[in-house]
Amino acid sequence: MKIRVAGTGLTKFGELWNKDLLDLALDASNQAINESRLTKNDIDGVFVANMLHGKLTGQDHLGALVASSLGIKGASFRIEGACASGGMAVHLAIQSLLAGTYQNVLVVGAEKMTDATSSQITSALMGAGGEEERRAGLTFPALYALMAKMHMQKYGTTRKHMALVSVKNHYHASMNEKAQFPFEVTMEKVLESPVISSPFTLFDASPITDGAGAIVLSTDNGQPGVFITGSGVATDTVDLASRKSLTEIVATKEASGKALKQAGVEIKDIKVAEVHDCFTIAEILAMEDLGFCKKGEGGEFVQKGHTRLGGNIPVNTSGGLKACGHPVAATGVKQIIEVTHQLQKRAGKRQVQGANIGLTHNVGGSGATVVVHILQT
Amino acid sequence: MSSPVQIWRLHKNLHNYLNKVGRLVVWTKIFVAPEGFEHQTPYLVGIMQFDNQRLPLQIVNCEEKDLKVNMKVITVIRKIGKAKSEDVIEYGLKVKPL
Repeated sequence: MKIRVAGTGLTKFGELWNKDLLDLALDASNQAINESRLTKNDIDGVFVANMLHGKLTGQDHLGALVASSLGIKGASFRIEGACASGGMAVHLAIQSLLAGTYQNVLVVGAEKMTDATSSQITSALMGAGGEEERRAGLTFPALYALMAKMHMQKYGTTRKHMALVSVKNHYHASMNEKAQFPFEVTMEKVLESPVISSPFTLFDASPITDGAGAIVLSTDNGQPGVFITGSGVATDTVDLASRKSLTEIVATKEASGKALKQAGVEIKDIKVAEVHDCFTIAEILAMEDLGFCKKGEGGEFVQKGHTRLGGNIPVNTSGGLKACGHPVAATGVKQIIEVTHQLQKRAGKRQVQGANIGLTHNVGGSGATVVVHILQT
Repeated sequence: MSSPVQIWRLHKNLHNYLNKVGRLVVWTKIFVAPEGFEHQTPYLVGIMQFDNQRLPLQIVNCEEKDLKVNMKVITVIRKIGKAKSEDVIEYGLKVKPL
């Protein structure tokens, strides 16, 4: 499989008071189409990833809304897979190209979150969880906190290990002008900020963010460039408690296994990765479940600096969900954009030297949907 | 969000789950709550192991310092969150230490 990333577009991530969802989606889309050097007439399919907009504002039917606002008359779809909506839309767009249905497609992930209160957002995001979880008053920070506590009990992972993920991702974001929090934080700041759900403090959590990312994908035309060569999706139970293990995300293993096999590469070949660090423990779980290190050693792996820029496998050079921000359905698309820019050697100060194969890892809910992509030059 | 009919449907099976003894697997104390639960913060929620299934439930009638991994708990019936728009009070399962 060889699908060309023909163009990329990304808005600033953050609290964007003067932009609504459509402004963000159109901005990112127009950037991506311009960069692809295609015209809007060349785009025959539009895949719009969004999770929350209908629930928060009443506006649904985003496929037609975005395509018509762009002046694109082709087919258009809205895709939802919780926080993996963006990765899911990329996966489906690829299938449409492989099937030969479309030749050039636009994938845009957009989310407008900061108009709502934090309890409204907390409730809306719990749509990605199970009914018993909502009735127990659970939140996503709490679900990941339960996984973190199990990991601490079973493997001796510490609060310091988790805080280091936040410190590292803020460091990377300090070199990314599109990031919501382009500044560094100290370990003390992470550990001493207010507790949101024990053991997590505010700085263990990704923020509430507005933003959009868009890419144009095309069938291979023989020219050099960056290509998606593997795309894997796996699912699991929507509720956490029903899963066999509370310390691993099995769907990550399954999705990455499919994507790596399709691309014909091994995990040791990956030079740069964007993974789903919605909470600090999630990046530690991702390191283990993707196979960058052994189960239970994710905390140590981060502590040794392997995942920091300059390390063996820099992870979340964009700043990740934690510090670049997490406009939920935009995240999976932004991950593809960051890795594409790394492979094109246009990542500026956060450029990973020698990056020729990259991986993206996008999770929906507490691990019920996982999408993994492999990109290569 | 829950209509009277939805709540009626849920309440029909509630008795099957009452007075069940299980064990506490893991818990967290929540300080930032979803809508309808804000007045309860901070509150304790955990995953309980029953004979053949695990369930996430709120833990009541205790402080966090009383909790231990693998301790016995028993299901009780309690009010769930705040009454929603139609003023129907929703009841459901929680656990307390045994």
